[in-house]
Amino acid sequence: MTRFADLMFRIELAIALVMVVGVVVERAVFGCWWAWRQRTDRRYGSLVRAALDGDDAAIRALVASPARHRLILAAQLILPLIDDRNPDRIARTRKIVTTLSLVPIADRYLRSRWWWRRALALRALGLAQVRDRTASIVAALDDDNASVRAAALDSLTDLQDPASLQAVVVRLHDPSLHRGRRVAAMTAFGNACEPFLLDLAEIDVMHRTDYALALAVCGSARARPTLCRWACDSRADVRAAAFEALARVGMDDGAARLAIDALESEHESVREMAAFALQDWAGPGDAAACLGRHLQDSWRVALRAAQSLQKMGPAGLLELQAHAHRQDSAGDLARQMLWELQPQC
Amino acid sequence: MLSHVALVSTLAIIAFLIAYLVIWNASQIVMSQVAAIYLWSHQRSNTRRARALVGQTVSRPLVSIVMPAYNEGVTIVESVLALLALNYGPLEIVVVNDGSTDDTLTRLKDTFHLLPAPRAFVQPLASAPVRGLYRSTRHPGLVVIDKQNGKCKADAANAGINTASGSLVAIIDADTILDRHALTRAITTLLEDPTTVAIGANVGIVNGCRVRDGRVEKISLPRNWWARFQIVEYMRSFFLFRLACASCNGVVIISGAFGLFRRDAVIAVGGYDTTAVGEDMDLTVRLQRHFRELGQRFRIAFDPNPLAWTQAPEDWRSLRSQRYRWRRGLLQVLWRNRHMIGNPRYGVIGMAVLPYAALFEGLAPLLELAGYVVLILGAVSGTLTPHVSLAAFAVSVLAGTGITFAAVVLSDLGTRRYMRGRELLLLIVVVFVENCGYRQLNSWWGCVGTYQTLTGKGGWGEMKRKAFEGA
Repeated sequence: MTRFADLMFRIELAIALVMVVGVVVERAVFGCWWAWRQRTDRRYGSLVRAALDGDDAAIRALVASPARHRLILAAQLILPLIDDRNPDRIARTRKIVTTLSLVPIADRYLRSRWWWRRALALRALGLAQVRDRTASIVAALDDDNASVRAAALDSLTDLQDPASLQAVVVRLHDPSLHRGRRVAAMTAFGNACEPFLLDLAEIDVMHRTDYALALAVCGSARARPTLCRWACDSRADVRAAAFEALARVGMDDGAARLAIDALESEHESVREMAAFALQDWAGPGDAAACLGRHLQDSWRVALRAAQSLQKMGPAGLLELQAHAHRQDSAGDLARQMLWELQPQC
Repeated sequence: MLSHVALVSTLAIIAFLIAYLVIWNASQIVMSQVAAIYLWSHQRSNTRRARALVGQTVSRPLVSIVMPAYNEGVTIVESVLALLALNYGPLEIVVVNDGSTDDTLTRLKDTFHLLPAPRAFVQPLASAPVRGLYRSTRHPGLVVIDKQNGKCKADAANAGINTASGSLVAIIDADTILDRHALTRAITTLLEDPTTVAIGANVGIVNGCRVRDGRVEKISLPRNWWARFQIVEYMRSFFLFRLACASCNGVVIISGAFGLFRRDAVIAVGGYDTTAVGEDMDLTVRLQRHFRELGQRFRIAFDPNPLAWTQAPEDWRSLRSQRYRWRRGLLQVLWRNRHMIGNPRYGVIGMAVLPYAALFEGLAPLLELAGYVVLILGAVSGTLTPHVSLAAFAVSVLAGTGITFAAVVLSDLGTRRYMRGRELLLLIVVVFVENCGYRQLNSWWGCVGTYQTLTGKGGWGEMKRKAFEGA
């Protein structure tokens, strides 16, 4: 018993001491690394700034730096591009990146077996807009690792190379890619995506909802006739998505008529989005009175109707005032919207 | 004959306790490995570029931050200021004054220029009646609900969720200070994976930190020893159990200090249960149960970064009542969901997380104290030599110490806090001291909490609040 207790004690003591040493060593290693990093950052910080200002001597000094400092330099040059997407700055950075032979390093990383290296290279190439690597980045959209695929999509978003547009659009429904990133990529390309989306939507009827939602992000008035057609689709989700997109791209007389008719749809989601689509409509069709009737609809529809009336201008204001005396939820909504329109808000 | 029976029983109990200790040790080592891998992988993929995704999103979801407040006059203004400084929009802040008897409402009215305002909302969740609704003339997104006291945080949170306009609701405590990037980070997770229904995060202890304009400016260890003990306790809790759970979509606790939820998901499970003692764990487990029973793909995510800061009690009375409550909450959740334990229908929750919680969180205080009693009785009766008793006690303490240090390493890798020179040494001392007295005291509180659960006694208890340092 005594020997067993002693043995257990020794084992636990050893584990505890190893862990204490682990904490100290981990902290010491990190401290040393951090100090080195700070020193290196200080050493190259001013040179990087001068190089970005076009100072050839600074660029030569950076080129002469030891190879082991290349990644630190890459970080100093490229990381600020996450927030600063000024095309001039990107171009100057790309020039220095090329001069420092950082692109071959990125190429090597792209072939690495470690996913984080591949992801790092993709992000760097995208941020610096190294467009002669677009094909490699597009190929990475089919990588086995989800984080690498995400990095590839981020990279294409940053790259904004028209050559990659089709690759982005055809992956609109690819569930292996993060949805938020797919939308961000579409947003980055803006209206340039629209023709592809409209063409693809004609062939791929099954995913019309997705196309409508994508057009809500990057569509223009050009997409309106198509969206109006989809607003009469037999599927409620397609109709709702079409009205959501119409709310973003803007309405005309025909679209407004469709939205007013859709306010009487049996599907709540369609009524909700139809009410949303009418938010800025001040043309013919007595949209305000129609929306006013829906202040007593289900909560989702009533809220959308009230919000649209609030944004509609004088006609909406009159309609809200007409309902403000009521003691039900329609009256509450009307009073809330009117209160929010007052100067104190 | 009697002494022989006593010897055999003591040895049997000791053998059982040793087996328990070995299994617990092994589980903690496995958990620390799993947590380390998850942390590493999370840090590799959660880059600065990845977080820029929220900025690129055109139609960001409206987030309603719901902050129940009961007698929080001391900290309420700082907390709301911190929320107003968040770098996320569109944002709505719903403060629920849960019938406070102090100056909480007055301070809010004076500071944020509140006016009574009409507000329409539906009430899918039951709550005590709302007395009034105020909106700020300076900050359009700030809404204050004044309601009758509902006797629990759950009731106030439900009232806030009812009023919230956002499709996402962040539920926080009134003494919580959110990191400026908290919502951006949490929303990034949600944008990446739309099946995410809730996101929890690491919660730091704000005691000892310097807070200015609702932001934590300088992080350091507090002077108060109770708070110091809780810092290492939080590290153990967040960086071992919760990270390990998060790695397999098995999160069962989203801390009440900060949690972001899909509003429709919370409403689908009936919101917060006003009869639950640990309402945060209860809600998270019900979300797990709901989506697993429906067979829907879902995820409850956990961010290891400290997205929120909360005050830890600095006096033993507040701490004791908090621990009684946590204990009762844990046992209540385990009892209410006992059919899930060992049930393969609930996947990793049924087969691993809840069994672990029952065996090592539920039973641990009782077995630990039983172990100490057996050691003392054994030594007194002569069944065990004092040497063996002391060695066994030391084994128990060192086992806890080793595991806590593993959590400290993970915490440092994940957050880089508290770890400069003198603070590192102090932290090492705190870990040793925490395992030689505080942990045993906690086990005792756990036993009392268990007794309170069995007898149906115990209330919420009182928390003494103090102003944030540097505020």
